[in-house]
Amino acid sequence: MNLEGLREIVSQVLPDVHVFIGYAQGFDPLHATPLFVRTPEDINKLIWNPLCVHNLTTYLPFQKKKVGIVVKGCDSRTIIQFMQEGLIDREKIVIVGLPCRGVISVTKVLKAINYEQINSLTCEGETSVTVITSHGEHRFSIEDVAPDKCKTCQYPTPLVYDYLADDPITSDKPPDAVYKDIHEFEQKPLEERWEYWKKELDRCIRCYACRNACPLCVCQDSCIAETRDPHWITQKLTIQEKFMFHMIHSLHLAGRCVECGECERVCPMGIPVSTMKKKINAEIKKLFNYVPGTQPGEKPPMYIFNVEEKNIEEHKL
Amino acid sequence: MYQTPVRRKRKVIKNPYLPELVTITKIIDETPNIKSYQVIFNDPERMKNFSFQPGQVGQLSVFGVGESTFVINSPPTRMEYLQFSVMKAGEVTSAIHELYVGDQIGLRAPLGNWFPYEMMKGKKILFIGGGIGLAPLRTLILFMLDNRDDYGDITIIYGARTPPDLCYKKDLKEWESRSDIELILTVDNEYPGWDKRIGFVPTVLNEVAPSPDNTVAITCGPPIMIKFVLEGLAKLKFQDDHIITTLERRMKCGIGICGRCNIGTKYVCKDGPVFSLAQLKELPPE
Amino acid sequence: MAEIGFIPKDRLRDFLETVNKTIPVYVPCCEGDVVLFRRYAVDNVLCLDRPAHTPPKTIIFPQSECLFTFRFEKDPHDPKKTTIQLAEPEEPSEAIIFAARPCDAKGFTIYDRVYIDTDMPDPYYKKRREKTTIVTMVCPSPSPGCFCTAVGGSPANREGADVMMTELENGYVLESLTEKGKALLLYQYVEDGQAFREAAEAKQLEVKNLVHAPFQKEGVYNISKTIFNSDEFWETEIDKCISCGACTYLCPTCYCFNITDEHAITRGERLRNWDACMFFHFTLEASGHNPRPTKYQRFKNRVGHKFLYYPEKYDGVIACCGCGRCIRHCPVSVDIREIVAHLQSSTSDVSNTSEKEKKGD
Repeated sequence: MNLEGLREIVSQVLPDVHVFIGYAQGFDPLHATPLFVRTPEDINKLIWNPLCVHNLTTYLPFQKKKVGIVVKGCDSRTIIQFMQEGLIDREKIVIVGLPCRGVISVTKVLKAINYEQINSLTCEGETSVTVITSHGEHRFSIEDVAPDKCKTCQYPTPLVYDYLADDPITSDKPPDAVYKDIHEFEQKPLEERWEYWKKELDRCIRCYACRNACPLCVCQDSCIAETRDPHWITQKLTIQEKFMFHMIHSLHLAGRCVECGECERVCPMGIPVSTMKKKINAEIKKLFNYVPGTQPGEKPPMYIFNVEEKNIEEHKL
Repeated sequence: MYQTPVRRKRKVIKNPYLPELVTITKIIDETPNIKSYQVIFNDPERMKNFSFQPGQVGQLSVFGVGESTFVINSPPTRMEYLQFSVMKAGEVTSAIHELYVGDQIGLRAPLGNWFPYEMMKGKKILFIGGGIGLAPLRTLILFMLDNRDDYGDITIIYGARTPPDLCYKKDLKEWESRSDIELILTVDNEYPGWDKRIGFVPTVLNEVAPSPDNTVAITCGPPIMIKFVLEGLAKLKFQDDHIITTLERRMKCGIGICGRCNIGTKYVCKDGPVFSLAQLKELPPE
Repeated sequence: MAEIGFIPKDRLRDFLETVNKTIPVYVPCCEGDVVLFRRYAVDNVLCLDRPAHTPPKTIIFPQSECLFTFRFEKDPHDPKKTTIQLAEPEEPSEAIIFAARPCDAKGFTIYDRVYIDTDMPDPYYKKRREKTTIVTMVCPSPSPGCFCTAVGGSPANREGADVMMTELENGYVLESLTEKGKALLLYQYVEDGQAFREAAEAKQLEVKNLVHAPFQKEGVYNISKTIFNSDEFWETEIDKCISCGACTYLCPTCYCFNITDEHAITRGERLRNWDACMFFHFTLEASGHNPRPTKYQRFKNRVGHKFLYYPEKYDGVIACCGCGRCIRHCPVSVDIREIVAHLQSSTSDVSNTSEKEKKGD
């Protein structure tokens, strides 16, 4: 993880852009935070390490001027999806790609150290992290505390970039591992799955962190969850309404979700919301042989209409 | 659809969120998108004992749709009914426009503060209104006409986009014929059959150029009109505490609790909607 | 019983179970990795060593509450006639919030000034508030992001508490502060706690020094209005915010709400739900005009409300309890302490007072 190389590239790019979006150290040793670099002095605050979990592309559709941005492999898929949907002007973005072997999940680390107070955290290269707490020292391999998405990552090197801040990495994870957890879950009896989701979604407080963190949710300000014309979802806090919101949200992302995992990361109630979107993606893959955010020239299957679909069996006419 | 009222249980502790039932007794088509509704409380005792100050508002409920805030634009000196003028804009106002005479709605009133008419006594009054902005001004105008001796000269500058968009045409006719008010009407552009002034309200204000001496200016209308009117009044050297206006914000509770309509420390529903320019200048720019 | 009680650790669940049979008790429980307040049940996993993700405010101020129901009924003898019936909901029942934190309890006192001490009090909140007993637990240690001492609080603060609970090695000391609190100490399994009074007081003193204050409370009253009203300040300070409602919904002192009618043809209800000033629609008017269309203006209003407007109206009380939930759970780690610290400086170039904590000191 070449921080010096990254800072050097940013200092070259900065004069051409209105702002450069990267990562800085957050409020404690375990958190990074997005940084909007405007002056050369700000560049010194940039960091690049396994704490950098955020998908910064969520800021792109709302930028009016030219911006620079750093992206990991998963984040770069969002940019390609934006290009497919016409949500950004590629000319107005300077992309610095960051090949990545995995980030860490804050929830998993906290659980692994039993919520002890963290005094310091050091990342050793890209493979391990040492956390010193009030009670002692803990050492983890990144793989142990990475979010699930990293364990099946197919795109460790960004798929689109203007500069690459480090040597490219090839994925060593088998492609059929991506939806393995979905298939395993589907084997469970319906009643069990129903109870599981009722329990998980019961905690939902409709804060819309998942919706706002999702880069592809660009109609946040006029969301179906809140509009009254038409009045699809009420403000009652019953499990029905929560289901309705999450189902609609997942459906609106069908064939668009790039599985960056932000929705699940930001949920303050720890609900596995990205699973629903992954399930729909698995179906989309089966029906249309389409993987979101991988080919700029493609169009999302829910955007276009074919009179005859190869994998959809219609009734015989 | 005629609805007969039903007696409702009264709780000992008054619940400020619970509307009282009122029935529509008359609907007046003021303009293509504005209607005035005259209502009376279903409870005749309540109607008899109800009182309010000019400038105060009420929240009208269409049950199942929602609530919206409207100034009570009939004066407290004429209490046969309460009148509200509703411009069709969103969900609730559209639902109100679908109602008929005899329909029931909910009312929470009176809410908010009122025009400081005490400090206006003995002074000259200048009303400047645009479009539906005449609604809150109407309350005060009629109140002053019913207490005519307490106030000096009254001048009204009122304009709308076109003649059909002028509100309260009946009142305007009456005021024109009175000798103790000066009424200056204007529309934005030429219009067939219109032989009076033409020009935007702020422009007309500059042309008329009233003197600020012992005069209170009260203005209400679209935000853009208010902006230029305030500039015009400043140029004419009106003092900040002698310029009164009403603010509008999205409101829900109407009692200064839900936190929505605040500008700085002031709640438009409770500390307003009537503010003097002097008060507005103390608030954060919003 | 004396005004100080003591529950041995191995009796805690028995105590909670007994009380719960008479009055619902809400306790912090683990569900997966999340801690939240749930009604006590035998299979709850109690979690007292870290603050709950969500504050207990939903017990006194439910996230969704029915204000009244309405019904349209046709007169069977004259189909043209329809009556409207309004009905208020049932009276709320008593409740006990067990092991809230001092910051959570302080949150309720912030509500009280707005909802109760006014000429038109909110009857729904008032009734629940009067019927709920709050047992505040002294924080054993701060969590990342905690800053209660910077806003007039502390890990042993008594504001809003009916009972003060201190954890010692072998049990919990309960000090009753109000009549409601005294009633709680009369339950079975609460022993006499006089012998533990000193130890509890010592513990309360000890924890007060553990919380790092990134700015001084007095500094809040010296916030520069010039900087506060500067658009440029907010446009660079709050770029990363994504305008969700997580900070608002997890905040013990946030009290904004929305009122909507939910309707099913012949009947419906008027609901009161939490709302967040961070949402675009919060101030959106029917005409389409929005006085706060950008996230910068909305965040400025949020900070302004907590640190300027509320203190101005209510004798300098800051409408923030320093619990740190907004910092811990913000998707992009917006740090309100940093923003308030920046506002207090007279120049825009400020040394970062939370630098220490970032490095983990």
